[in-house]
Amino acid sequence: MSSCVITADTPATVWKVLAGEGDTVSDGDTLMILEAMKMEIPVEAEQDGVVARILVAEGDLVEMDQRLVELV
Amino acid sequence: MSFTWKGALQELQDRRSRARELGGARRIARAHEQGRYTIRERIERSTTSFTEIGELACYEDVDATGQSLDTLPSSYVCGLAEFAGRTVALGGEDFTVRGGAPTSYLGRMKGGLGGFVEDLAHEYRIPLVMFLEGIGGDVAAQAEKGYAYLASSVSMQRPIELLSQVPVLGMISGAAVGATAGRAVLTHFSVMTKDSVLFAGGPPLVRRALGIDVDKHELGGGALHTGVSGAIDNLAEDEDDAIRQMQTVLSYLPQNVWEMPPRGERSDPVDRRAEELLDIIPEERRRPYRVDKMIRAVVDNDSFFQVGPKWGRSLVTGFARMDGIPVGVIANNPGVLGGAIDAKAAEKQIRFVDTCSTFHLPIVYFVDVPGFMVGPDAERSSTIRWGMRAVQSLAEAEVPVVTVQVRKAFGMAVNATSNPDRLGLRLAWPSGEWGDLPVEGGVEAGFRREIEAAEDPVAYRRLVEERMLGLSDPFKTAEHFGVEQMIDPRETREVVCRFLEASLHRVRTSLGPSQRQWRPRP
Repeated sequence: MSSCVITADTPATVWKVLAGEGDTVSDGDTLMILEAMKMEIPVEAEQDGVVARILVAEGDLVEMDQRLVELV
Repeated sequence: MSFTWKGALQELQDRRSRARELGGARRIARAHEQGRYTIRERIERSTTSFTEIGELACYEDVDATGQSLDTLPSSYVCGLAEFAGRTVALGGEDFTVRGGAPTSYLGRMKGGLGGFVEDLAHEYRIPLVMFLEGIGGDVAAQAEKGYAYLASSVSMQRPIELLSQVPVLGMISGAAVGATAGRAVLTHFSVMTKDSVLFAGGPPLVRRALGIDVDKHELGGGALHTGVSGAIDNLAEDEDDAIRQMQTVLSYLPQNVWEMPPRGERSDPVDRRAEELLDIIPEERRRPYRVDKMIRAVVDNDSFFQVGPKWGRSLVTGFARMDGIPVGVIANNPGVLGGAIDAKAAEKQIRFVDTCSTFHLPIVYFVDVPGFMVGPDAERSSTIRWGMRAVQSLAEAEVPVVTVQVRKAFGMAVNATSNPDRLGLRLAWPSGEWGDLPVEGGVEAGFRREIEAAEDPVAYRRLVEERMLGLSDPFKTAEHFGVEQMIDPRETREVVCRFLEASLHRVRTSLGPSQRQWRPRP
């Protein structure tokens, strides 16, 4: 299976990181929650796989299209 | 030699065959290697009939000293075509001849900004479809003319007035530079393949002017123009995808502004209840939802086509049908910037509303907007001016607007969602919430002095907030007819369809060019 990098759809703050590196996840699982303009924006896995790297930490400010999670 | 039918027809046949060879096998092979079709292949793949005009027009290829090298077909191919079942004027540059340069070397331009194909669309009031691939003007043109000419001698009236008369659609595959890039954006819908580039000036020019080295895709690739600048509406996987996208967009639009948009099939029942909406819109107000899913639940099955999906993403725009009636759909997207209107989202709304108004497509607006975007970036990009232009575009739209209040509606941005000087029909879901400012924060700002003076400021603020929250109950607004109707989201489709059907009487009797086309905005 190919790897995939999930990016931020909006400038936001990383509110909660739910997944950990090494976790096995399924397509649609919520990996982290961003917070922007008082909205909680779930970041979901876009394929089945294993979380290879989490590229941000809780409290980080992220920009639009910033890389958040790498799945393999 | 005296005239004979045989000889003349043979010559005609020979010359027509020569036109099919384009700029030669070597240049055609290069286009194929790079995964692109030639202009003639594009026409063959996208049309069911094509009657060419200007087939024998030629370009005299000369070297730098003016010595003739070869006679090639001209660098633009155009004619009358059947495209997606519609009669259109269609043309495009031939990149294998002088990089698709403007046909200013001919007695009459074939197309590009104002040429035969533009005149055909104008005079017959039929859509214009363009395949754009060209380097724009070049120094060689100067040599042909024998002097340096001012570009301002060339009239821009035709390509501009076409925008208020007939649908103008364009796709870019390869490179669109300078004048060809300019031609590409004078359209109602534009699409480029992901391998293509568009710029005012390419990397060599940028290096000269600014001393910076930049990769051509970074400078003006498909991802940039459809994801950041918004100069081009949509991205396509490949040329066949781009052609399909243009054909889809044309299916919602009329032949011209004097005719009705074509009503599609009426196979999806008007009274189909969209049960899934209650799952799509979370009860937890801080959770966003998939805007495209919400829209698809309401409009006719498989009829939604998003325009500009990757730029200005806090706002979704697209064409759809409701009971077969082509409509423009706009929705705030709470998943990006909380749905706030920033400068880009405003620009996207303006462009889309103007297109709908020009071609008499009613607008359905799903509102969930916390306001104009705030913050340093928003101020730097003049969000307030762009936002008010969006308000103006809706105020000037000469089409019925049906507004659906989904959740939030706060601040001036709400003025860009309905027009109280016309019918101003707003249908509210019970999930709606609105006001000048959200209660949270709004109370803090509005009653700061009173709160600070209170014995227990925290308790006092909470008291004021509770009172304000009580007032913001959407049913209270409905009691005062401050919103026209409260509906069950599941019946949205039926109510909107009934009003759209009725509105067609107005649309049919208001055809023609917009009264207020492309007016100056603040």
